[in-house]
Amino acid sequence: VSVDLASPADVRRRFDEHDYLADDGISAAVFLSLRLGLPLLLEGEPGVGKTAAARVLAEVLGAPLVRLQCYEGLTAGEALYDWNYQRQLLAIRIAESQHQPLREADLFSEEYLVERPILRCVRYDGPTPPVLLIDEVDRADDEFEALLLESLGEGSVTVPELGTFTAKQRPIVVLTSNRSRELHDALRRRCLYHWLEYPEPKRVVAILRRTAPEASVPLVESVSRFVGHVRALDVDKPPGVAEAINWVAALGALGVTELVREVVVPTLGAVAKTPDDRDLVVASLHDYAFG
Amino acid sequence: VPTLLAGVDRAAFVAALVHRLRTRGVDVGMTSAAAFTEALEVVPPVRVGDLYWSARITLVSRQEDLASFDRVFDAAFADAVLTVDPHARRTGTAELPERPSDGLAPVPGDRDEEGTGSTLPWHTLPRHEDGIEDDDNPVVLPELLPSAVARIADTPLDELDGRELAVLGRWLERSAHEWPTRRSRRLGVGATGSRIALRATMAASRRTGGEAFALRRLEAVRRPLPVTLLCDVSQSMQSHSTAYLHLMRAFARSRQAETFAFSTSLTRLTPALRQASPTAAIALASAQVVDRYGGTHLAGCLKELLASRHAHGIRGGVLVIASDGWDSDPPGLLTATMARASRRARRVVWLNPRAAVPGFQPLVGSMAAALPYCDAFLPAHTLRGLDDVLAAISGGLSSRA
Repeated sequence: VSVDLASPADVRRRFDEHDYLADDGISAAVFLSLRLGLPLLLEGEPGVGKTAAARVLAEVLGAPLVRLQCYEGLTAGEALYDWNYQRQLLAIRIAESQHQPLREADLFSEEYLVERPILRCVRYDGPTPPVLLIDEVDRADDEFEALLLESLGEGSVTVPELGTFTAKQRPIVVLTSNRSRELHDALRRRCLYHWLEYPEPKRVVAILRRTAPEASVPLVESVSRFVGHVRALDVDKPPGVAEAINWVAALGALGVTELVREVVVPTLGAVAKTPDDRDLVVASLHDYAFG
Repeated sequence: VPTLLAGVDRAAFVAALVHRLRTRGVDVGMTSAAAFTEALEVVPPVRVGDLYWSARITLVSRQEDLASFDRVFDAAFADAVLTVDPHARRTGTAELPERPSDGLAPVPGDRDEEGTGSTLPWHTLPRHEDGIEDDDNPVVLPELLPSAVARIADTPLDELDGRELAVLGRWLERSAHEWPTRRSRRLGVGATGSRIALRATMAASRRTGGEAFALRRLEAVRRPLPVTLLCDVSQSMQSHSTAYLHLMRAFARSRQAETFAFSTSLTRLTPALRQASPTAAIALASAQVVDRYGGTHLAGCLKELLASRHAHGIRGGVLVIASDGWDSDPPGLLTATMARASRRARRVVWLNPRAAVPGFQPLVGSMAAALPYCDAFLPAHTLRGLDDVLAAISGGLSSRA
């Protein structure tokens, strides 16, 4: 893979330019994935920047981002390729009406092939290989994981009627998982693995200041502290960095400069995502020391 | 820049580290080892932190292994790591206590309850304990005849002796094969269905000279539902707990179910109950429950389960709770927790052996609080009752007794 990222530190610097604050772990993971040509499996709780990492990687490399959102029942027809049956039927009718001979091979040519994300990445013909983001792979089922093995392991897709397409440049593959289900070992074995932790408070502040430069420093710091407080409560769905970013944006939209009880309650929907969590957080406000 | 490991045979170094990891239970394959060797080449480690990340990203492939990996790594590079690596500084290099992989750490409970002076691993009825013997011995345990099952079919579970419990366990293991399923979004070839399976139809037409006589169809594939079983092992459930443990084992053996015991705290029993020998499995599971016959924190334990990562198994699955409903947590907490559990689960089945008593009324505060959220409420006090339980779990209506 021809990329101009020389070291993990370089990855970190370039990600920083695109407003993604990478720590040692993620920058090493991205660098190794590029250099060794292996897919990267990112796991972590929701909202810690797994999908964002893939997006920023594509921006940094100047490569197109091809995204495949996983769901149960995802098949080769949606992930790899499909035949354009309507066009094939039309071609048969036209040939009949014009009394032209039609060979079977004419119908199964590339003209009638519909590329889906993985085949599109394999056949991509550009200066830099595309970044293929296979998002939330834990939502798909075992059958889909098995389907991925050929394209991840060999960088190729086999269409029985046409033959095997092999990528000139291996696509850069990033898989994300929220760990709602254990992935199969065969898939893990083909990937580099990185577990993303929720960042420390200092890093949260740095990330928030980067994403909302207009927000005041005390506000960002108190939001970071409050989100840490909510995470320490026994909530159903602990808020991630993404929730903190949304909350700062919400507070900014309301013109808030200081986090006090009166602004927390109406904007809590950005942080607490179930009624139970909301009640728990509101109850905890009583003893929480603002400022 | 001077690098670490200069002049070191990388392959030997990697092999040694991989060997250490494997002996500590981290499953590292050859592909990962090769990737690490290559990583050492492309990122020559300057600090121990670089080495840490290269090793972790290439060698570890699941979150549960991170703690073991950190321990092995720290043991090998302890002194240097502490000074340069922030991650190590945070977690410390001291030998960490063994963390259970699922994060549900059992809290030691009060073991000085009266009446538990017995040294038996699980507190059944001691006078019959000699009845449990090697279950491979055909003389002790004859082939499971219907009559052996029929004889104990209506005996209350708390009156079964060791041998009868073994019969019950075997019967459960054979009977728990009907698994609850749901319709999935994936299609497979079948006899019914509205869409034609072109590939299968064409393949079948080769037998009839290229004429497609029989149409094959695509129908939805059914998938097994995850089943989660929770068994109360507090004082008041003491006499039923072994029988229910056999029930949980029958499910745990299938690799689709998660099983937990609770009294004051929650203990995951699935790995223990998957042992091949029922006697060993029950003994191991008993040994893991440290707080049996203490008080009950039903609501608290259920809440803990819903917050753990095993809660994903409850989503859209079947949740089975075996408890008499005595709870030292306030009923309000149980109402809220059961409401959450029932929103998440497809079916909630509650087993209460006390419900078999004629004239039983769910008057205990917690039982009354939980009842509106249960799809089935069964006595499950005899083998016949357990058969109804199996039917309720698999979603079938007819009883197979």
